[in-house]
Amino acid sequence: MRFGLVGIIAVLVIVFSATASGFLTLQNLDNNARQMAVVGILAVGETFVIITAGIDLSVGSLLGFGGIIIALGLAHNLPAGLAVVIVLAVSVVIGLVNGALISSAALPPFIVTLGMLGILRGLTQIFGNGQQVGYDAASFSNFASNTTLGIPNLFWILVLVCAASAVFLHLTRRGRYMYAIGSNVESARRAGINVNATLLTVYAISALLAGIAGVLLTARQAQGDPNAGTGYELDAIAAAVLGGASLFGARGSIIGTFLGVLLVQIMTNGLNLLNFDPQVARMLEGALLILFVYIDHLRKLRVAAAW
Amino acid sequence: MVSAAPAQALAPILRARAISKRFGNVIALQDVDFEAYAGDIVALIGDNGAGKSTLIKIISGAILPDSGTLAMRGSPVYFHNPRDARDAGIETAYQDLALAPDLDIPANLFLAREIVRPGLLGRLDFFDRRAMRERAEEHLRDFGIKVGSMEQRVDTLSGGQRQSIAVARTVFWGSALIIMDEPTAALGVAQSALVLDLMRKVRDAGTAVVFISHNLPQVFEAADRIAVMRHGRRVGTLDPRTATMDQAVSLMTGATTLESVSQPRSSQQNRGGNIPPS
Repeated sequence: MRFGLVGIIAVLVIVFSATASGFLTLQNLDNNARQMAVVGILAVGETFVIITAGIDLSVGSLLGFGGIIIALGLAHNLPAGLAVVIVLAVSVVIGLVNGALISSAALPPFIVTLGMLGILRGLTQIFGNGQQVGYDAASFSNFASNTTLGIPNLFWILVLVCAASAVFLHLTRRGRYMYAIGSNVESARRAGINVNATLLTVYAISALLAGIAGVLLTARQAQGDPNAGTGYELDAIAAAVLGGASLFGARGSIIGTFLGVLLVQIMTNGLNLLNFDPQVARMLEGALLILFVYIDHLRKLRVAAAW
Repeated sequence: MVSAAPAQALAPILRARAISKRFGNVIALQDVDFEAYAGDIVALIGDNGAGKSTLIKIISGAILPDSGTLAMRGSPVYFHNPRDARDAGIETAYQDLALAPDLDIPANLFLAREIVRPGLLGRLDFFDRRAMRERAEEHLRDFGIKVGSMEQRVDTLSGGQRQSIAVARTVFWGSALIIMDEPTAALGVAQSALVLDLMRKVRDAGTAVVFISHNLPQVFEAADRIAVMRHGRRVGTLDPRTATMDQAVSLMTGATTLESVSQPRSSQQNRGGNIPPS
């Protein structure tokens, strides 16, 4: 993880608390916690993929696809639990297809998931008939607006996803194999790691989390939107990279990604409260992304020079 | 014939008999015998295309021979894949390292063979970081490999240190036989000395070592026996204490036959090598 990130977030919080009225209120914290959940969950999935030196461009579309499926299911009076299970199962299958094409067929992750992005967005528009899909299931949409122990359920889900992912990635052998593959796939193979199975797992996890994010977003908006999640894959990738993940693989952590999401969220929210044009936050996010990667690059050069 | 079987081993750990292998019309190996003994470094030399790599790949289970047999400690063995050879105690250190540069030293030593935590956590696939670090430290200390902190990423080590880690991993898991394919090819003089020294320590610990190299001074410095290959055949065995590098070269190139090599070399020539670390 990046230690600098904690410092930047702390500075932002202090500055916004002092300058933006309404920043340090329970209401606003609650809003922030809800708003960061969806992209946060996507970014955690993306972190797994990026650690193996891959990329998953399909998660935003998959989020929209999952969101439409569950909205349609609920609109047709499917029990919410069953609808959720269907969406998550479909998501995992799509992730396995991505993973199989990338591992067994050895196609580049960028191309496979870019293709899947298009396929899923098209399917989503067709399924939704290009329109929002309303549903009538208050118990389902209430989940997204309710809190547990004073904390929004959406944020709880993000925390659970982060905790489970961090344990898996950092403490188990299968998690370590993801780093090993991202570090040097041929070495990993020769050492005896089942590279194909690991990549299948990685893309399935990313897709599963995208499915969860789709369910949550549909609950939060109380309707399915065929355009939901458009471009979210880039936000997720940006957050992971801000959090220390490297597209060259083997670098990144769940806590780092969480901090990356938090940074973007706080910056966007604070600038918004200060009445900046929302595009300013986007520009700053982009600039920070480039700056962080550049700093990493310099650090790497120093290591190389030390040999 | 100059065949210096080591005194400390009666039977070879590994014996390959009459191994042949063709790739299409190319005869890669023809009737090759090869043996490795415990506590013995056998160098495998030959020009490019002589069949060294093919022989090594057969011994390490990467390819299957067309004919011929492998035996370990007198019993026939059949390696269908590298896993089989590895399970039999044969480890290979590849030329291009095969480390995960972003992982730390214990993670690399235990890659794909991690120690899991005891009990339920272990069944849930949790690895035991401390146990691996302790065993890695112990192992590296035994072989005198100094690396500073165990927590550093392997890509922060020097080339020689990284090669030492790669070799140490081979040694760690190769209970019977380790194969080192050009372990010093990318290294400077001092770092090569480090690796050769490590190889001798492994030998002294009782493991059989196969050392493939194009670097004849290093071969003469480190090996106990030198197996020479040419055009897919084993053309002879040299004793590095009595043979000269010129003799090795002429055997490799076919300029001489075995008979003319078996003369003891003149006494003023040193045993090849003893390159001091710079």
